[in-house]
Amino acid sequence: MTSITLSGVNKSFGANFPVIRDVDLVIDDGEFCVFLGPSGCGKSTLLRMVAGLETAYTGEIRIGERAVDKVEPADRQVAMVFQNYALYPHMSVYDNMAFGLRQAKTPKDEIERRVKEAARILQIEPLLDRMPKALSGGQRQRVAIGRAIVRQPKVFLFDEPLSNLDAALRVHMRSEIATLHRNFPAASMIYVTHDQTEAMALADKIVLLHAGKDMLKHGSIAQVGRPLDLYHQPRNLFVAGFLGSPTMNFLEATFVGQEETGARVALKSGEDLTVPVDGSTLASGASVTLGVRPEHLAPVAAAATQTLTRQVRAVEHFGEYSFVYLDGGAAPLIAKVPGDGGLKAGDSASFAAPASCCHLFDGDGIALPRRDSL
Amino acid sequence: MASSTTARIVRPVAVPVLGLIWLAVTTMPFLFMVMTTFKTQQESYSSSVWALPEALDFVNYRAVLAGPFLTYLKNSVMVVGISVTLIVLISAMAAFAFARMRFRLNDALFGLIVAGMIVPIHITLVPIYLMTRDMGLYDSPFALVGPYVATSLPISIFILTEFMRQIPKELEEAARLDGCGPFAIFFKVFFPLSGPGLSTVAIYNAIMLWNEFIFAYVLTSSTSTRTLPLAIWDYQGQYSSNIPAILAVVTLTSLPLIVAYAFGQEKIVKGMMAGSLKG
Ligand SMILES: Nc1ncnc2c1ncn2[C@@H]1O[C@H](COP(=O)(O)OP(=O)(O)OP(=O)(O)O)[C@@H](O)[C@H]1O
Ligand SMILES: [Mg+2]
Repeated sequence: MTSITLSGVNKSFGANFPVIRDVDLVIDDGEFCVFLGPSGCGKSTLLRMVAGLETAYTGEIRIGERAVDKVEPADRQVAMVFQNYALYPHMSVYDNMAFGLRQAKTPKDEIERRVKEAARILQIEPLLDRMPKALSGGQRQRVAIGRAIVRQPKVFLFDEPLSNLDAALRVHMRSEIATLHRNFPAASMIYVTHDQTEAMALADKIVLLHAGKDMLKHGSIAQVGRPLDLYHQPRNLFVAGFLGSPTMNFLEATFVGQEETGARVALKSGEDLTVPVDGSTLASGASVTLGVRPEHLAPVAAAATQTLTRQVRAVEHFGEYSFVYLDGGAAPLIAKVPGDGGLKAGDSASFAAPASCCHLFDGDGIALPRRDSL
Repeated sequence: MASSTTARIVRPVAVPVLGLIWLAVTTMPFLFMVMTTFKTQQESYSSSVWALPEALDFVNYRAVLAGPFLTYLKNSVMVVGISVTLIVLISAMAAFAFARMRFRLNDALFGLIVAGMIVPIHITLVPIYLMTRDMGLYDSPFALVGPYVATSLPISIFILTEFMRQIPKELEEAARLDGCGPFAIFFKVFFPLSGPGLSTVAIYNAIMLWNEFIFAYVLTSSTSTRTLPLAIWDYQGQYSSNIPAILAVVTLTSLPLIVAYAFGQEKIVKGMMAGSLKG
């Protein structure tokens, strides 16, 4: 009953400025859905449309069975946590949390029960009498979440709730939000972020949005799926490049032919590689892009089939792993190797690019279908 | 070198010295006024202007208070109180609409109202006098409320609109999600959050209206309907040569403002700064 369905949703600011295009999306009961994408791709706009704060769009939005397009924000049974918390500065923590319930004429003892309960869950009981300006960033964040909890919403909406916190607190609050989701399994959550780590850590489902030309051509949604689906099976170059850090290496190549084990491609730098995808739609000699993630390039002793040999330009050590910057060939590469990697600038090194970890994109940047039986 | 000399010597010395001179310039007349109220009429002629009074004698105050002074005071408190309340309420509501609501004529109407600030009061005197007379309000203290509110609204709306534009839009949205309509958003969020702006507007207008003379002079005529600035005028006729008595009237008239300013000063300054700093 807490699912959210968007069908054929389009939104523009002014006549010639489309922001959201052709969004069809189902968020299931109790699902934790993350809207991810670069700045300006319309994540907040889409979230605010679900909240009812943005109107004047085409298409339909349903919460549960009910179409909410004409329903006031307060009657949608959603609660929202804003990036800057938006606590009422002139009300105590208690009143901030109680405000919405008072507006809804909830009985006094019920208000008190719910506020106390939320305060207990979020461990802010000692702060109930404070004013917001006397709270730290993390405490304000909890109050903002508390204000959402007391309303017992069907849907929690978060717009970059952690981006004003420092790095350590962000990781901590991230796990608290995951706990919150476990404590309220029936409620769905939509969480907006541009931080892929947050998205990977929290999401049941990631909705990756893109902007600009891609949005006009393919609609706002670049790909929807479980975090690891997006990581392992990106549908296009944008998704492949957006997820993962450092970003996936892209190498220009030409399609040689389809073989039993997959598509055979020749890199500009001369190597031949096989990628387990179905390239039968491609003409021989078509230009394609090969993608391989830095963490999948494994150092090997000697050049062999399915390896790339390059000159080491620089190495960055992080203790647990190292980034190896490689030159030579047609385009620079980055490899992420465990430990210190035993390499230094000036070395010549070979890296295996395991077939199962390679991705192939056609001339339009669309991933070729994988043959996962291989 | 030159700049460090400025920083080390000139500034720490010059600023306090100039401050003290300014303090003297502004408090001298005030001291003279208060001192003289304790002198008798005789004394004020014979003694030097800056001589201390011979005794701390409240005779002038007693004489003034024995007259209709309290009636003037009551009228002033009533007229200013009602006017300022209306000004604050109306300008806050208008400012909320201008700052927060999207409607077609928003900018045009705001411009029109702000343009009202440049209309000189004096050209409105005759029409307002005629209107007041036709409405049967002539020579009633309530005749003053309309002109007072009308002439104060432009600047008040201007100040409060700027103030409310600074309030984050997320607060409004949070309130909408909490179930507030426009009125609840205004009264429960924007009005209380505009506190410093509202007190600026209230105190500024209270001072202006407390001292307002020309409308009061034109629209009222009897002692029982007139406000304090006219008390000074009327007493001047009555006590024509009793300078200490006239100054006692002036002192009593400014006393409420001085007290109000002493308590509200911090808020006024804060309110006037808020617009410029928070942006
Ligand atoms: N009220 C508005 N009027 C005009 N344009 C707007 C408005 N709100 C947003 N936009 C535009 O719509 C686009 C999407 O905005 P949105 O805030 O949804 O992006 P976002 O993905 O949340 O970005 P960010 O990560 O920076 O928060 C942007 O190009 C923005 O400039
Ligand atoms: Mg945003």
